[in-house]
Amino acid sequence: MTPPTTTPTPPPTPARLGEGIDRVDARVKTAGRAAYPTDTAYPGLAHAVLVQSTIAAGRITALDAAAAEAAPGVLAVISHENVPALREAPDRSASLPPPPLRDDRIHHHGQTVAVVVADSFEQATEAARLVRVTYAADAVVADLDHPDAQHDHDPFGTDGGTGDVEKALEAAPVRVEGTYRTAANTNNPMGPFATVAHWEGDHLTVHDCTQGPSRTRADLAATLGVPPEAVRVLAPYLGGGFGAGLRTWGHTVLAAVAARQVGRPVKLVLTRKQMFTSVGHRPDTKQTVRIGATRDGRITALDHRAWQSLSMTDANMEPVSHTSQSSYASPNIATRDVQVRLNVPAPGSMRAPGDAQGNYALECALDELAHELGMDPLELRLRNYADEHPVTGQQWSCNDLRACYEAGAEMFGWERRDPEPRSTRRGRTLVGYGMAGTSFFFYQADCAARVTVGADGGAVVESSGMDIGTGTYTVMTQLGAELLGLPVGRVRMVMGDSSLPAAPSAGGSGLTAAMGTAVHNASRHLLQSFLDLVRDDAESPLRGVALDGVRAEDGRIVRTDDGRGEAYTAMLARHGRDRLSAEGSAEAPGQKGAVVPTGPYAAKFAEVHVDEDLGVIRVARLVTAAHCGRVLNEKTARSQLVGGTVGGIGMALLEETVTEPHTGRIANPTLGDYLVAVNADIPRLGVRFVGGPDPTNPNGTKGCGELGIPGTPAAIANAVFHATGVRVRRLPIRIEDVL
Amino acid sequence: MVNGSAAAADGTPGPVVRVPVSLRVNGAERRIEVDTRTSLLDALRDALGLTGTKKGCDQGQCGACTVHLDGKRVLSCLTLAASADGRDVRTIEGLERDDGAPHPMQEAFARHDALQCGYCTPGQIMSAVALIEEGRAGSDDEVREFMSGNLCRCGAYPHIVDAIRDVATGGRRA
Repeated sequence: MTPPTTTPTPPPTPARLGEGIDRVDARVKTAGRAAYPTDTAYPGLAHAVLVQSTIAAGRITALDAAAAEAAPGVLAVISHENVPALREAPDRSASLPPPPLRDDRIHHHGQTVAVVVADSFEQATEAARLVRVTYAADAVVADLDHPDAQHDHDPFGTDGGTGDVEKALEAAPVRVEGTYRTAANTNNPMGPFATVAHWEGDHLTVHDCTQGPSRTRADLAATLGVPPEAVRVLAPYLGGGFGAGLRTWGHTVLAAVAARQVGRPVKLVLTRKQMFTSVGHRPDTKQTVRIGATRDGRITALDHRAWQSLSMTDANMEPVSHTSQSSYASPNIATRDVQVRLNVPAPGSMRAPGDAQGNYALECALDELAHELGMDPLELRLRNYADEHPVTGQQWSCNDLRACYEAGAEMFGWERRDPEPRSTRRGRTLVGYGMAGTSFFFYQADCAARVTVGADGGAVVESSGMDIGTGTYTVMTQLGAELLGLPVGRVRMVMGDSSLPAAPSAGGSGLTAAMGTAVHNASRHLLQSFLDLVRDDAESPLRGVALDGVRAEDGRIVRTDDGRGEAYTAMLARHGRDRLSAEGSAEAPGQKGAVVPTGPYAAKFAEVHVDEDLGVIRVARLVTAAHCGRVLNEKTARSQLVGGTVGGIGMALLEETVTEPHTGRIANPTLGDYLVAVNADIPRLGVRFVGGPDPTNPNGTKGCGELGIPGTPAAIANAVFHATGVRVRRLPIRIEDVL
Repeated sequence: MVNGSAAAADGTPGPVVRVPVSLRVNGAERRIEVDTRTSLLDALRDALGLTGTKKGCDQGQCGACTVHLDGKRVLSCLTLAASADGRDVRTIEGLERDDGAPHPMQEAFARHDALQCGYCTPGQIMSAVALIEEGRAGSDDEVREFMSGNLCRCGAYPHIVDAIRDVATGGRRA
């Protein structure tokens, strides 16, 4: 359908890898021609609208759909009473939540209880209001501190550490202890999640807001009980996801169910309010951090415990305290995670899941320790630098966090900081400097890609994965060009289609490493295929040459020994081929060896201004020095860091999903009431990349997508303390907290 | 046409009321028939196939649906299609020159990487073009303030400011 017309055309100019070329999809996006799932139209398209519960716990005692069914244009009303059987996920920890409309039980406010399908969007919207649902309500447990809430201990199997923390804390000459809280946040991508489902016989085509078409295909096939080959998922563009697209949510399943039931293509678009209840959110946390240290600032004990909310029926992979096992050198470390079952919508990944919250508590506690010791916060971090993994003793594959500290401090002018809180002011404005470090987790999953060179000498690179705005289209185009020796303008990247070689979801800052490795290997295989093609070709200067004896440049394969070679086009033409293709795959590197693969690192330095009379807090500037390994495109990588920092500023000062504890209802499910950072909230943001390529990866890359978030809230919170002398241990920090 | 309301007092829906609407969209006369409840946004997207204009919230809170109505920027999700009858609408699809070359603002957004996922981008660009026409792009702070009705969840704001100031200063912004 849409992909051929919307595949981005790269710019004509040749470019080297690493160069900050304009993103290859900028032209279609700025022209309004990029086809997002919600832009898909089919003849005879029907529209589906969800009905969601108005209680948070209990049962449906009656569901009266008569008025809705009688409304003009209505084609179907599907509820738990008449939904066809849907299969449960075999593995609850995987990407598939429990199927929608499973039974009459209600587990959270805003749970989908019916879907109404009609000829038009307006008709479906009106009829959805006519579905009358009667409930028998139970007591609501929707508060992290609720005494009746069920606690799941060590839900990720990540609890652990080293040494004896309690004993070391007891013996420590200096101790700090704090309880930190972070609010629930909602992903709120600008594009409301949408699904367009179309059955042709037993074959299902789904245009879906997903961050992983391959995964969505597998999940849909499993739920609907059809073979994966019968499902195709398309998403050439996504209007943001920030983790919300990492699971196959109920609305996607219901769009497919509805389309099959009414025998027409169906479009289902979540309302903004439903975006708060239907596609995950960052769970709120309560965390305690206890640190013991010597008087000269050596950490001797680090204990980090985290409680986070979870829904009643689902799972959510979100280790909060785990990164504290690998952040600082300490002979005694313990981390513990607990998930608390509540009548809240299912949490899910959102921009640096777990680390966003955990890093905040850890880095604030470090700041508290620095203050207690009378030591510069940066010096404290350098004094406890983890030269190796503090728990396992493994060597880092590539860790240039020290260079991040140095570069960030220099960019920011950290040496000008007066250590005394509330010491710096400009008129009635209190000025604060704060900093934080970030050791982001490593993540990579298996990935495949295909590379093709055609008779025109141009290349196509294909993989099912998504560019969710990160720049994957662009960097994979650049990478393909480099590996095949072609100008960027001769390489076309095709993604967002489950029929292409399988890629993992765009998440965990892991796609560039995974897909880049797959593209690397596919390109090597393709070069080998060309060498195979001319192995016995007397006319070819490449006859009988091995792969390690050639390089690719200027549309040719050339011998490294004497520089002779020939063009792809010549080899194809002489052998009567219109193209050659090769696939390549990448497996995630193991993490058990003597060297452990490391994620990206960053140091962040923030200046905040606090109005002494009004308590208004503004971020005046914020700089990031980041170690992301080899940066494939300086421009799009910078945008990743800048964009993540904007999200971190929102987390620090604005964003809070407010759930009423007695009803479980979200009180602010609009973009007018749930505050996200707007343009006027954001100052100039400095970014510098430092450090070397990571040898774990053949392209030298690390991830960088989520690196903008962790560290930012802590740097801001620490700057607020420095400005005001008030230690706020809860996000978002509000005016009333500092007055 | 029956009484303007499609729903009776008891909440049961009345017959669907459809009205003819004549719009001048990106310079071309377009005649459509719409449900009286249809927003200008949905009419552009569904009836006219102009999907460049995006729905972000459908509540007038995000700016993704910004178009120009008689030369002024409006939120098309809060504008009923029927109320735009006889008026001039300009959307992102109408910004390119006749020869297909991009508008300077579109070029500047690409050059400054003022977009990531791209979903808010058409609305940002329509606001940005209007901003300059309104004379509201005289400083970085002014741009920040008057672009704050257009949310960008990817966080491209600093680059959006760069792009707009670039165009506003005639390309003197690097």
